[in-house]
Amino acid sequence: MTSALRTRREERLNYWLFSLPAFILYIFVFAFPIILSTVISLSDYKGGQMFGGEAWRILGFRQYGVLFSDPAFWMALKNNLYIVLISVFGQLPLGFLLAYLIFRKIVRFGEFWQGILYVPAIISVIVLGIMWKMIFASDGPIADLINQAYMGTFKNALHHIVDASGGFKVTDDFVRQVLAAGDPKAVATLFGQPVAELKDYIVTSGFDMSNVDAFISEMYNLFAPKWSPEFLTRQDSAMIPILFVTLWCWTGMYLILFLANMQKIDSEVLEAARIDGANEMQIAGHIVFPSLSGVIFNAAILCIAGSMNTYALIYAMTGGGPMNVTEVLSIYMYRTATLGVNYPLSNAIAMVIIAFSFVLIGLTKFAEKRFGGKE
Amino acid sequence: MMDNAITNPAIEAVKKTLAAVGKAIAYAVMGVFALMAIYPIIWLFINSFKSTPDYRIDKVGLPPVWYPQNYGGAWDIGEFSTFIPNSVIYTVVGTMGVVMLASLAGFAFAKIRNKATGPLFGSFVLGILLSLSSLMIPLFLQLSQFDNVLGRLLAGIHLIGKATDFHFFYNSRIGVILVYVGSGLPLAIYLITEYIRGIPTALVEAARIDGASYFTIFRRIILPICVPIVTTVAIVTLPNIWNEFALINIIVGKTELQSLPLGILRFSGSLSSDYGKQFAALVIGLLPMLVFYMIFHKQITKGVSGGAIKG
Repeated sequence: MTSALRTRREERLNYWLFSLPAFILYIFVFAFPIILSTVISLSDYKGGQMFGGEAWRILGFRQYGVLFSDPAFWMALKNNLYIVLISVFGQLPLGFLLAYLIFRKIVRFGEFWQGILYVPAIISVIVLGIMWKMIFASDGPIADLINQAYMGTFKNALHHIVDASGGFKVTDDFVRQVLAAGDPKAVATLFGQPVAELKDYIVTSGFDMSNVDAFISEMYNLFAPKWSPEFLTRQDSAMIPILFVTLWCWTGMYLILFLANMQKIDSEVLEAARIDGANEMQIAGHIVFPSLSGVIFNAAILCIAGSMNTYALIYAMTGGGPMNVTEVLSIYMYRTATLGVNYPLSNAIAMVIIAFSFVLIGLTKFAEKRFGGKE
Repeated sequence: MMDNAITNPAIEAVKKTLAAVGKAIAYAVMGVFALMAIYPIIWLFINSFKSTPDYRIDKVGLPPVWYPQNYGGAWDIGEFSTFIPNSVIYTVVGTMGVVMLASLAGFAFAKIRNKATGPLFGSFVLGILLSLSSLMIPLFLQLSQFDNVLGRLLAGIHLIGKATDFHFFYNSRIGVILVYVGSGLPLAIYLITEYIRGIPTALVEAARIDGASYFTIFRRIILPICVPIVTTVAIVTLPNIWNEFALINIIVGKTELQSLPLGILRFSGSLSSDYGKQFAALVIGLLPMLVFYMIFHKQITKGVSGGAIKG
């Protein structure tokens, strides 16, 4: 009896010796900050010494009222929702499709494709965010390529007009054609009476057959159509590159997850279906998709958790701008804490982020129960 | 198929063509996505060897003159000789801490009976889903306030001079590593506990009857069996810590303690128009993880497919 007791005591002692270091760190990084955050969100703490400094009081849910009446909060919440949606309904289906192509050996060298598609997920999103910011910049490579195409078309058109005029005859009609090849807006801002003014300009500048190329590049500089993409600097489009990069970055991860689970499907079932004459759509829809449903729901939950964690990518690409239109909740929280130095408000945001992600995860769990998902 | 007996050559030909078209589309889809995934990174590499004026002229093609001087310039200006060693310290110590504490706790949760396992293990699993970036402000307050309290205590007993200079948690390597170990634990504990649960309990019980202590059992029996999962956990944890940004951005203010992602961001803020050096800095930023991936891509794939993912 005493030996059994001693064993029990030793068991308990060892249990805590083994698990306590990890649990203390868990409290340090997760549990305590959550409690602290709850308390501060209900208080009027203004920074400075929290213990033994200037007194601060619990005021109640006042900050949550402030939060819910701030349009910036709803904007950030909406952007978070966009990111959740593009993740769940973009990354997952795409990952599934690509995994299926590899799994069914519709494309060969599966490991090669998989290896390449995962590369973005391993690299720091700060690096990738800055890289994409430069790609989408108004003087970036996308703008360059499209403007080169514009330039080609414009120059061809002008060559054509010059050739058709029969030896550079500067008639009104000639000038009208040249103007028509240009950007109407640029033309309108440049000239009051386009035809007369440009005709005068061409004649006095001494353009003729000998310097057609100079003529064309002059016209190009004056009023050719040019495209200046402002994806990231325009308020109505700045979220689009962010959503694109979100999709770009993580799809490979779900490809790997789905492919690994597809490979667990009993190959005899697939073989039987093939012999019965099922086509790929039927095999995908009736065998592979149902047997992965549990994995898909789990992936959706991880996907939501990851989306709510989005921070660094937006921090690097736009910093939340222009005019805060690309803020997600975590960036909005950072701004209220660092720029506004409003700790109660920013902690209220932290609480809302946690609550919101668990609501979404709960909904996913509910959907899983409702529509069935097998492990 | 039904018409197998008839074998109409025309129908067969149409079927073959359709199959070929389907395959071509499948390859096109895969090729486009793979190219999309990798081309921007190749583009980055290429442009890191262009001088800034050459980049302004041509943003897509190969450099007319290869200009590796970008790297020397970026390295000096970017203070990468500070940031990279910092990142190495945080990542190596952090990953080791995660793996050690998680295997200890995983052993307790899986093989030592205790009523606390339910809530404890459950709270770790919940931690996997918690958005860590949402805790950055409370974490910052917690760390700086702990320092404040500790500093006043130590100054009170004359161990240190001024309470305000005391940094143990905030703006300190120890603080960063504690936070990183803590944030890596939930996923690691989940994976390792599930794995140890698969080891026959009879093995542990037999050793207990032979009089082995729990620590001996852990060291001699459990750890050797756990080498594969511990490797997987380490390989999945490592890039997460290396690339972490949100937390370290707020819990470390001093430049000499900052990590590589912070350094890259600083660089892009101060030198945004010197494109050549900017690209070189980005390549310096992505190269370590790219090399890591090339070496360990099999294990990384295994880790990810086991559900060890974190978006």
